[in-house]
Amino acid sequence: MKFLLIISIAAALVAIAVAVTEHIKARRLTDRLGDMLDFAIKGEFTESTYDESVESFLESKLGEYLSSSSLSAKKVEEEKDKIKTLISDISHQTKTPIANLILYSELLAEEDLSPIAREKVAAIDSQAEKLKFLIDSLVKMSRLESGLMSYVPVISSVDELLESITDSLSSKACAKGISIEYEPTTLYINADPKWTYEAIFNIADNAVKYTKEGGVKMSATEYEMFVRIDIEDTGIGISEEDSTKVFSRFYRSRDVSEEEGVGIGLCLAREIITGVGGYIRLESTPGNGSKFSVYIPKGQNLSEVS
Amino acid sequence: MTILRAEGLKKTYGKGDSKVNALRGVNLEVNKGEFVAIVGTSGSGKSTLLHMLGGLDRPTEGKVFIDDKDIFKLKDEALTILRRRKIGFVFQSFNLVPVLNVMENILLPQELDGAKIDKEHIDNIISMLGIKEQLHKLPTQLSGGQQQRVAIARALAGRPSVILADEPTGNLDSKTSQDVMSLFRVTADRFNQTIVMITHNTEIAQTADRIIRIEDGLIVNR
Repeated sequence: MKFLLIISIAAALVAIAVAVTEHIKARRLTDRLGDMLDFAIKGEFTESTYDESVESFLESKLGEYLSSSSLSAKKVEEEKDKIKTLISDISHQTKTPIANLILYSELLAEEDLSPIAREKVAAIDSQAEKLKFLIDSLVKMSRLESGLMSYVPVISSVDELLESITDSLSSKACAKGISIEYEPTTLYINADPKWTYEAIFNIADNAVKYTKEGGVKMSATEYEMFVRIDIEDTGIGISEEDSTKVFSRFYRSRDVSEEEGVGIGLCLAREIITGVGGYIRLESTPGNGSKFSVYIPKGQNLSEVS
Repeated sequence: MTILRAEGLKKTYGKGDSKVNALRGVNLEVNKGEFVAIVGTSGSGKSTLLHMLGGLDRPTEGKVFIDDKDIFKLKDEALTILRRRKIGFVFQSFNLVPVLNVMENILLPQELDGAKIDKEHIDNIISMLGIKEQLHKLPTQLSGGQQQRVAIARALAGRPSVILADEPTGNLDSKTSQDVMSLFRVTADRFNQTIVMITHNTEIAQTADRIIRIEDGLIVNR
């Protein structure tokens, strides 16, 4: 009798022990599965163990699925590398022929030519310049869009930014008989200076281009997290229908067909500003000019930083 | 890709003479990564609409789909869990827990869910929202704008399918309001985060990708 009791107690204990270990095992398995999925979501999944366990089996199955579904970070990385090579090939291989085109057309212009021939040379020259600009812009664009460019945020002065843009556009504005000016400011932004310059320059350059009289004015306003840079012109304005389209690639409104341009400046500007953690807002009334407001993350004043 | 869809939403409060038709048949689609502002005066039904979209209240008629899931087919408990996992809420009055510090507030919903914290993601959010210095402070030690930024961080932390914001700038001055809108705008662009916000302020709404106007419980095309 006593013997039977001991056996049943022992059996019960064994059963409990088995249940507990099984529970722990199951728990461990679900935890491991959760981890595996977390890695998969991030695109960092790799198989870690190779043995006869259920975990290892599931791991290899998941690995198989991910590698076939193009979700893995590795595949994405490979694709990116391919694009990177292609882009640098294009920019590299087209550089010399275009430079030659420009060079020879300049040489040709120095020859003794009839007025008609001279006109044609000028046309070749301007088209070659346009091609160069276009390829440069497209290469920049695709670098930005495929995330191949990295932005290095630096705390920099808005005043210096606006000053250098004003300087580089003043002769162009002067030739058109319009003004370009900015309001001095003590604000700082925290963004990649080279790219931010490119973006704001493109917007200001457009403003000068599409303004016939009056001028372009830039100013900055401070918020707690952002600095707003306004680029305001007294130009032809942008209709409501066009105002969302002007940022898309190669879009050119019918209203501006007489001006030179390829329709990539604003597209680049938006891509860059989004990349540095900001955004662009556009307000415009046709005939009354446009106002581009560029919001860029604010940099604390230099004195506060150091 | 449509992430949020409402079909023929109707909501009626009360009965008989005191019956109020808050929503009278609203159809709406929001795509992934879109930042949508719903604009209307008070009493236009915009709050009711947001409550339906977020599964906080059941409609009298009509359906709401989040990630193609018909949310009102779920029982209350399942709906609560879906809300916690798929929707981030930002309210006018911030709704932070006063006894928890900023970091604890941000992580609260995920800890309730027993989810693992993605530290890198949280760090990204915190630095983007500029609340790094405030992490150990209590909500009462922060300005209104900072509190709302914490609430946005909390909403973003769990990578929700959609963030629903109910007059998020209602308690803020106009400068701080523009800041909050800027942050929503940047969040939508950078994290491809879908955001639906209601406001009565047309000026504030301009920052969104798309503005939807609602009047007397119906969406109006202007």
